[in-house]
Amino acid sequence: MKLSALAGALALGIAFAGSALAQDTKVIGVSIPAATHGWAGGMNFHAQQTIKALEERYENLDFVLSTASDPGQQVSDIEDMMATRNIDALVVLPFESEPLTGPVQRVKEAGKFVTVVDRGLSQENIEDLYVAGDNTAFGRVSGEFFKQQMPNGGKIVVLRGIPTTIDNERVEAFQQAIEGSGIEIIDMEHGNWNRDDAFEVMQDFLSKHAEINAVWASDDDMAVGVLEAINQANRQDQMWVLGGAGMKEMIKRVMDGDKIIPADVTYPPAMIGTAIELTALRFTSSMPMSGRFIISSELITKDNAEKFYYPDSPF
Amino acid sequence: MTVDSATSTAPRQGFRIDFHIWGPVVALLALIALGAFLNSNFLSYGNVTNVLARSAFIGIIAVGMTFVITSGGLDLSVGSMAAFIAGVMIMIMNGLVPSMGVGWGVILVGMLVAIVVGFAAGLVNGLLITQARIEAFIVTLGTMGIFRSLITWLANGGTLSLDYGVREVYRPVYYDGLLGVAWPIIVFAAVAILGEIIMRKTPFGRHCAAIGSNEQVALYSAVHVNRVRLMTYILLGILVGIATIMYVPRLGSASSSTGVLWELEAIAAVIIGGTVLKGGFGRVWGTVVGVLILSLIGNILNLANLVSPYLNGAIQGVIIILAVVLQRQKKMER
Amino acid sequence: MSALPDKPAALEVKDVRRSFGPVEVLHGVDLALHSGEVHALIGENGAGKSTIMKIMAGYLTPTSGEVLLNGKPVTFASSEEAENKGVILIHQEFNLAEQLTVEENIFLGRELKRGFFLDKKAMRAEAARLLNELETRVSPDARVSDISVSDKQMVEIAKALSRNARVLIMDEPTAVLTTREAEVLFRQIERLKAKGTAILYTSHKLDEVARIADRITVFRDGSRVVVANTGEMTEDQMAQAMVGRELSNLFPPKVIPANAETVLSVKDFSVGSIVTNASFDLKRGEILGFAGLVGAGRTELMEGLIGVRQSAGQVEINGNPVSISTVSDARRAGVVYLTEDRKGRGLLLRKSMRENLTLLALNRFGRLAIDSKGEDKALGKAISEFDIRAPNRAVLVGNLSGGNQQKLLLAKTMLAEPEIVIIDEPTRGIDIGTKQQIYNFIQNLAASGKSIIMISSEMAEVIGLSHRVVVMRSGRVTGVLSGDEINEDLIVRHAMGLEGKVAA
Repeated sequence: MKLSALAGALALGIAFAGSALAQDTKVIGVSIPAATHGWAGGMNFHAQQTIKALEERYENLDFVLSTASDPGQQVSDIEDMMATRNIDALVVLPFESEPLTGPVQRVKEAGKFVTVVDRGLSQENIEDLYVAGDNTAFGRVSGEFFKQQMPNGGKIVVLRGIPTTIDNERVEAFQQAIEGSGIEIIDMEHGNWNRDDAFEVMQDFLSKHAEINAVWASDDDMAVGVLEAINQANRQDQMWVLGGAGMKEMIKRVMDGDKIIPADVTYPPAMIGTAIELTALRFTSSMPMSGRFIISSELITKDNAEKFYYPDSPF
Repeated sequence: MTVDSATSTAPRQGFRIDFHIWGPVVALLALIALGAFLNSNFLSYGNVTNVLARSAFIGIIAVGMTFVITSGGLDLSVGSMAAFIAGVMIMIMNGLVPSMGVGWGVILVGMLVAIVVGFAAGLVNGLLITQARIEAFIVTLGTMGIFRSLITWLANGGTLSLDYGVREVYRPVYYDGLLGVAWPIIVFAAVAILGEIIMRKTPFGRHCAAIGSNEQVALYSAVHVNRVRLMTYILLGILVGIATIMYVPRLGSASSSTGVLWELEAIAAVIIGGTVLKGGFGRVWGTVVGVLILSLIGNILNLANLVSPYLNGAIQGVIIILAVVLQRQKKMER
Repeated sequence: MSALPDKPAALEVKDVRRSFGPVEVLHGVDLALHSGEVHALIGENGAGKSTIMKIMAGYLTPTSGEVLLNGKPVTFASSEEAENKGVILIHQEFNLAEQLTVEENIFLGRELKRGFFLDKKAMRAEAARLLNELETRVSPDARVSDISVSDKQMVEIAKALSRNARVLIMDEPTAVLTTREAEVLFRQIERLKAKGTAILYTSHKLDEVARIADRITVFRDGSRVVVANTGEMTEDQMAQAMVGRELSNLFPPKVIPANAETVLSVKDFSVGSIVTNASFDLKRGEILGFAGLVGAGRTELMEGLIGVRQSAGQVEINGNPVSISTVSDARRAGVVYLTEDRKGRGLLLRKSMRENLTLLALNRFGRLAIDSKGEDKALGKAISEFDIRAPNRAVLVGNLSGGNQQKLLLAKTMLAEPEIVIIDEPTRGIDIGTKQQIYNFIQNLAASGKSIIMISSEMAEVIGLSHRVVVMRSGRVTGVLSGDEINEDLIVRHAMGLEGKVAA
């Protein structure tokens, strides 16, 4: 207790010194999970890009970016930002909802502006601004595409992500969307949003099932592994694959009319950029900035692929 | 006075399987029987090839790990090292395409790079352990983090992908083979056979076991303890390089999630195979069996919906513990 | 002496048998310990001494027969139960937690407490008192890993004393003690005896046994062959009873080579701060004894010579200067060293005899691949040449008796075909029959033209075998004795630093 009080006092002192130098420089803290898979890598990229652009545009904005590899580390990151960097606003993409709710609530109670991205906290009304993708829509849009492609039903296999709420929401929505369509999920297994795991799972699906009409890979990284396994088994003509998230290589294939990749579904990692920009606007304009900002998942087909294609992004 | 149970090789027991030696083989055969019983495709050419080929990366690494563990060491860095080597290899090959064009030239350079980087990484681990006298666990825990960060940084948080043209040329190294046997399987078998011979038949193997059972005795018996130790880490590094050479053509990419937990799988395979974790006794054939057991568990769980996939790790855990329990020597009689 | 009280023995075993697997190692032995007596148990290695001691202290259960405590049959379920009933065994290999302090070890498992917390102060005071009684200077706060072997022995004894042992069983307690330390131990034994403790004691040192024991039991091949009061047996009779045959003179006659050339010449040799400017010569076919007190730097000097310790100075072999910085350099120069620490530095206890035998000279069995047939042949030769007695070839070396381990170590070293053999404590912890064999090996080696350096703390050995004797004290050579000078008086005077003064 004593220690943290001391640290607080110290931070206060530094803050005074800081604010005396630059009158109204505002500090925005950004806390996100580390780049452990493709989508998170893209998200990290967009966070860095946005911060770089905003720092150039606004002289009175400072950013503190930290990436965490587990929820515990993320909590420590946020505590450090409060104690030593005196942030005015926090943009957080929680690793997991439960463990981050308390710490983020304390940031809010300290009078800071809080933006929560992608994963909601487990209590409502903590954040000022909520920016998120729509996992239910992601599953539903994917399911509807299957329904449309397979009017007479068929046999499909599903690769799931890392066992989390996100994955559950997507899969449930997908299952609801295909209900009554005659489409049968003959096998479902976790590929953990990982290319290697997806490759091995798909290899085993191909050994196990003589007839597979389509694959819902549910993620573009997993789709890469799945495609490779299908190529190896020489069964490219028997099935097609739907990934998800909008990796540039996959969008390119959709754009080129690749038969095995007829479409993709967005879940843009760029949402972190949107969130940071909106938070910055709170301090640089007089616009009221609060509420919920949901970025829906869209279906990418050959017709509209071009507008989703960013060749420079790492993802 | 010092006679104890171990001196009496009991002839009265008649025929019994000695689990201390044959435990892993029995477990492997049981798994194969289970797989064949559950799914008729289990023993198909395609599935057998799949399982063996995907075992090859961990398998090649685990053979090297057997030497490190036998001589009383440990290497936690191999998974990140593999990811790092894959990343460097891809970047260099991509960088050479404009000047060298697409072809085997680029790929051979890439392979050489993989082996050189693996050698260097093993050398760093080994020197820190033998010269700076830091414990192997600490050193490789450190380099594990370093290699993992380096690949994340090289890939800018994303995925490094091999040039499309090079990939098409390189692909057959994983997917094709000789007389119907895939290349990764051939390389794995070659490494395993060579490893077994080195362990059993050469002074190097004997010295590893001597150092692992008692470093002082080895030192007083004219064994170059530090040199042998260093060589085990270098050997392992080179084998990680070879494993990476087989890995890259599979998906043509490397990212920060490449090779995650490979080190623990390799160590688990070594232990299941009967090598003693604290050193002094190692056998390469056991390690090969251990690797196959681990990949068969995953394969069988995918092929037959026996239990919830959430419990996959639990089943592997039970097998690891069982393997060690079965192999433990009988306690002294009371 | 023999007027033993009528009351039942403090601890007694009757017709005890014990088998390991199909092999019976104790064939129905009796042994009774009475309060207030010191009972010595002697016998060759492998005679069953350790087994009976473990049975008496609850570490092993007898296959048949009874254990009686104060006349009543007991079955100890564990050594803890035996300890709780006042029966304590002090092992030859210590049972101490190396990373704990002396005081923590003494009270391990029965710590003194005040309320919930450890009563550090009381424990430290009690530990200090016990150590003081034992005239040991080691601090209660010292970490056990940092103290010397003899101090560890004292800590073990202190631990037993603190447990108010009624029956104390000691397995070769003096093997690692200096004469002075042994004297302290004997005084403690007298004191315990006066307090009514029953003491069972094993030792290979028969003079010691004759001095401190009241009664003697002799074991041979798992049976009791003699039990007698001490005055009734001479040391020679004890040795005969142990071995079961008449022992001719223990030492073979000396054959001192005439005008042999110098093979090893060491000048101004220093090893760290332990050995300072040592110089000596060794001739072909010579047995050069190294005498001195424990800690005089003899072992360190030799370890410097073979390259396991950093050293400075000049070494010439056959007149050529050599530089030796590793054991394999030494081996190439024809120098080998047999360590005094058989189990810690000499042999791999969990490996077979074959792997141990060839480790030092492995390159003789093929550079690329090991010729295992050749190894087997070498093992066969070693077994017959050095008379190694093992139940079978696959036995783990740790299960061999000390004497057979020492023979194997000798065989291993000789496989390297050395010219110069350094043997450190050739017969430590070895029974008298095997000792004689080893003396003959050493003598034969010298006769065949090898040159031998022998470090020994057993005066009889040094005097009986050496052609010349180098005496060391505090890291320096204080004298080189030859011919009639090799006697106990002069060696001790040099070892104690009294050289130059005329003996009274």
